[in-house]
Amino acid sequence: MGTSNLVFAFILTLGAGFFALNVQRLVGYMQIGKSDDRSDHPLVRLKNVLTIGIGQTKIFRDPVAGAMHATIFWGFMVLTAGTVEILIQGVFSKFSYALLLPKLVYQLYAMSQDGFAALVIAAIAFAFYRRLVLHPKRLEGDKLEHTDALIILGMIGGLMVTLLLTNACQYLLDPSAIGPEKFVSRQLAGLIAPLDPAPTRLFTVFWWSHALLILTFLNYLPYSKHLHVATSLINVYLSNTSGPGQKGVMRPMDLEADVDHFGAADVEDLTWKNLLDGYSCTECGRCTAACPANLTGKLLSPRKIVINSRQRLMEKAPVALGDHMEFMHPALVHGEGDDAGATTLTEVLEHRLLDTYITEEELWACTSCRACVQECPVSIDQLDIINEMRRNLVLTESRFPEEIQPAFESLERNGSPWAFNPGDRALWAEGLEINTMAELMERGERPDILFWVGCMGSFDDRAKKIAVAFARILKACNVNFAILGQEEHCHGDPARRMGNEYLYQMLAKDTIGTLDRYEVKTIVTSCPHCFHQMGNEFPQLGGNYEVIHHSTYIERLLQENLVPLQSDHGQRLTVAYHDSCYLGRYNDVYDAPRETLKRSLPVINLVEPPRTKDRGLCCGAGGGRMFMEERVGKRINVERTEELLATGAETIAVACPFCMTMISDGVKAVQSDVPVLDIAEVVAGQLA
Amino acid sequence: MANVLVFAETRGVALRKVALEATTAARALADATGGGEVHALVAGPPGVGAVAEQLGKHGADVVVVVEHAGLANFNCEVAAASVAARVKGASYRAVLLGFSAQGRDVGPRVAVKLDAPIVADVTAIQAATGDSLIVQHPGYANKVIATLEVKSPLAVLSVRPSAITAQAAERTARVDTMAPAADPAASRVMVKEVVEGGKGKIDLGDAPVIVAGGRGLKAAENFKIVEELAAAFGNAAVGATRAVTDDGWRPHSDQIGQTGRQVSPQLYVAVGISGAIQHLAGMRTSKTIVAINKDKEAPIFKVADYGIVGDVMEVVPALTKAVHEAKAGH
Amino acid sequence: MKIAVCIKRTPDSESRFRIAASSTAIDETGLKFDIDDFASYAVEVALQLNEKQGPGEVVVYAVGPDAVQETLRKAMSMGVDRAVQLKTDSVPYDGLAVAKALAAELAGGGYDLVLFGKHAFDTSSGVVGTATAELLGIACVTAATKLDIANGKGTARRELEGAAETVEFSLPAAVTIDEGIARPRYPSLKGIMAAKKKPLETKPAQLGDVRITVKALQLPPDRPAGRIIGEGAAAVPELIRLLQTEAKVL
Repeated sequence: MGTSNLVFAFILTLGAGFFALNVQRLVGYMQIGKSDDRSDHPLVRLKNVLTIGIGQTKIFRDPVAGAMHATIFWGFMVLTAGTVEILIQGVFSKFSYALLLPKLVYQLYAMSQDGFAALVIAAIAFAFYRRLVLHPKRLEGDKLEHTDALIILGMIGGLMVTLLLTNACQYLLDPSAIGPEKFVSRQLAGLIAPLDPAPTRLFTVFWWSHALLILTFLNYLPYSKHLHVATSLINVYLSNTSGPGQKGVMRPMDLEADVDHFGAADVEDLTWKNLLDGYSCTECGRCTAACPANLTGKLLSPRKIVINSRQRLMEKAPVALGDHMEFMHPALVHGEGDDAGATTLTEVLEHRLLDTYITEEELWACTSCRACVQECPVSIDQLDIINEMRRNLVLTESRFPEEIQPAFESLERNGSPWAFNPGDRALWAEGLEINTMAELMERGERPDILFWVGCMGSFDDRAKKIAVAFARILKACNVNFAILGQEEHCHGDPARRMGNEYLYQMLAKDTIGTLDRYEVKTIVTSCPHCFHQMGNEFPQLGGNYEVIHHSTYIERLLQENLVPLQSDHGQRLTVAYHDSCYLGRYNDVYDAPRETLKRSLPVINLVEPPRTKDRGLCCGAGGGRMFMEERVGKRINVERTEELLATGAETIAVACPFCMTMISDGVKAVQSDVPVLDIAEVVAGQLA
Repeated sequence: MANVLVFAETRGVALRKVALEATTAARALADATGGGEVHALVAGPPGVGAVAEQLGKHGADVVVVVEHAGLANFNCEVAAASVAARVKGASYRAVLLGFSAQGRDVGPRVAVKLDAPIVADVTAIQAATGDSLIVQHPGYANKVIATLEVKSPLAVLSVRPSAITAQAAERTARVDTMAPAADPAASRVMVKEVVEGGKGKIDLGDAPVIVAGGRGLKAAENFKIVEELAAAFGNAAVGATRAVTDDGWRPHSDQIGQTGRQVSPQLYVAVGISGAIQHLAGMRTSKTIVAINKDKEAPIFKVADYGIVGDVMEVVPALTKAVHEAKAGH
Repeated sequence: MKIAVCIKRTPDSESRFRIAASSTAIDETGLKFDIDDFASYAVEVALQLNEKQGPGEVVVYAVGPDAVQETLRKAMSMGVDRAVQLKTDSVPYDGLAVAKALAAELAGGGYDLVLFGKHAFDTSSGVVGTATAELLGIACVTAATKLDIANGKGTARRELEGAAETVEFSLPAAVTIDEGIARPRYPSLKGIMAAKKKPLETKPAQLGDVRITVKALQLPPDRPAGRIIGEGAAAVPELIRLLQTEAKVL
């Protein structure tokens, strides 16, 4: 071991040690969050890592940026092996993987190093071009964020260039050390040779530059949004946004817990996983670019929610934990996030995530459409933070837009978000000879399915027609079904989405009591919100039923040729189907409504707007937005309706009563007369 | 045979309509109990005694006049004390008054001073036998009608304005004057200012009539036909649907519905409103609903008492003209 | 300041009412009961006054069976400090009898202000507040739509028929609260939890003689189904006629 080996060993120890200290610091910060068990389903999690992480499936949702990122990412994966080799060589000059690996494998490895280094350089060049020339809207951040990105790109580019140059010099010094598989390095050597045919000094300069750059890069990460390099795969493994478990299910909450507040007002109220999300965010802006609220000019940006929780963590955690390594404190850079600029301890303690960093207005703008979660390449759960903060606003602070108070009060008193007489719930069914569960029970009978009508279907004049249409289909197919009639009331999902877990649990438990009393097994509903809530969230409270959305149920009936359809196919109709978020992104039901349309209208011309299926734009009613005013920016329903009308559709089909209201209003707002129909109405219209 | 005392409500020196209605009810009650006398007490500034003639024409045998310069504004404590003093010095079967802003104040006080049971908001006095009175009183926001029995030799009843039609029962009332039974200047509650209504904009919550417009009006400038109709009623406020306030045609404060104001005026005129669930939640409880809409399938017609199918631009101006004429002929 | 608020438990006004078999009471099955709307405005006003005036106490009172405890808890979940139930088997229609029970209890309480709703949804009479004030011998302002307390004096705005007046009154006083004065706060879960631990005292109600009894309850005739009276401007004269003669609103 020569002097330079010793010097390098010392520097390496220092660099690695400093990085380890930072890792310890950041991991420590995460521990101020609440516990959350993510040790379940290791195989599902591993699959997510392989597809979303290694396979970069979500990254490729933007094909251009996707190819760029995947090249750099895969390059990094491959080149990390080489980096380790180089670091070992720094200490033990004679070391090479060639000593350990079979020749062929080593040659492949060597080729991959060169090949990827070149590819990464190309990708980095494109990244610079994109940032400096193209300026994509979603990368809008502050100056610090841009500088950070450029530093990182520069470092990665530098690493690649120095790697290749080191190899090239080494080739000139010892042609046997660099085989033909390192084709790029050899080409490069040809360029260096005229300058210095035996570049000993250059070799040393490039080698050290490369090695030092590696350590610099490593230690820069904890101060950069590019910390995701270290955390993203871990985050994907620990995330639940693509399973395990049902997507979009809100966190269970113990209302009896002896706590002084409910929900999240500050970073300590979030889970360590929410905080890890913060470390994993690269501020790529895909979430915000997909957010219906942000798209239409509202203050909400899901990216900002994540960045701000990270910013607040950086401010609060050192104080909360009594961490005195102040020299290590400079926060991770902030793109869209705020810097509350606390300079004294008191200020740090006076601040909190809510209000100082994230305003009420942002939180109430969310439609809970899940587009942000769907887009995130590293499986961050922005919506979880929003939901927890809404819970705090309602349950702890009783702060919410005043227009939702009547909805809360009516849910409590009348069992529906609208102040309608609960006694009128089954008026829509009058004259249709539909059994109620109570009537059947009295006769000692039991239906095959319960048709859960929902509050819209029961009280809203437009949605009542959907309920009637679906009931007509069930009758035409001789399905043995019943309704609860006056015994039905809201299951509380709107309250839950608006943060009122207390009201939700009251209504949900009562509903479960009713369903269990009638020993209900299978429920069919025409409302995706009811479908999601009863099917996916009721199990948290002990309600386990098979819940089927009417689109799936009708499709099954059609498939089995049970629906007596007219033989006349009528005229060819151009139809655009609008995806409901709670049907699509929450439950992956994309095909059933489309199939239903195709089967019932064989000559249909089904058209799709650009944003469709898992990219579909929300109608604007989710997350309790139905009950709130939309005062800022363009109305989401109008934006969505314009997209749907731009397809040239002669009819818009929906599969959700909330979408029905919003899209119908949108059609009126743009003074169009295109009819909006529920898929059940389309099928009922074709009944023989 | 028993006498009945009416507290005849005045504003300034003018009699209020409900005073005559209470007098008519008292006349009927006195007649039903064997032909007792009806005495009416008025309390007001000097000159208020002139209403005695009008009260006499409606069946008052005696008018007790309490005049005092300190009674220019209604003074509840003086009125209640004077009524109680009058009753204590004589024999009455009942004290009647209107269930008006004044009557709501005076009635319970008189009842306490005399330790007599009180029924408020009476719509009919059905029977009087011995110590028992049978009266009708609507409760639960008029959703339930109660028949009540009051068992007491003396009872206080406040009658609902307009429930009983004032009727002539011509006679010349004797006038008794009486000093106020309490010092108007010593009242614990003093009126500082009275603002007559009708000048400022009427709040949606207070307006007896609301004319509301929806997207059927097609454009913000067409809202003027709604304003003109409201102006024709005189006592109407203008409302709007959420779609209209969202579009900025009207301020958000005008919105009626689930996310806006919840109103229940005597008359609600829905102009170009289809009747979405969110809007119905805010106005369904209105007493009378009129809907004008071009779509005869619009859900608003399901809740409307009277519907006109037609172009709002044609129907509303015609209605405005007709309301003006009706008001002029009144 | 020490403020008492007298509240009532009434069924939700959106309910469809049925008459019980006895025909002297409503059928309570399926009805949701809560604090009466006007009483909830009074609670809100009391809480706001207390927040503005600095430390004080807000106490709620309700006359009725044990079911009113839930209503009292609701008021405490909004922020009221403690509650008193004046226990009776049922609340009589006779407002004076109820007022006597309340006045007997409030008399020694040392309250600066006693608040009531303008009237309760069920009896719709507005007797109890004024009668209680008279029994206590304190000033009374009814149907206030604005209320301010300063320098030991109160100022209130009242809406009269077609006019509004501003009155000044001395303390202690009773004020009945009209709608539009304040939007009652929505209790937070934190408030609901805290309310479970707040003191709720139960005492027998010293009702006066009950001299008013319900002989019968009945439902008014159904509102006639909506009808379309015609098309276009030609239907206007008929509409005017109906508004004048049938609906009597013109």
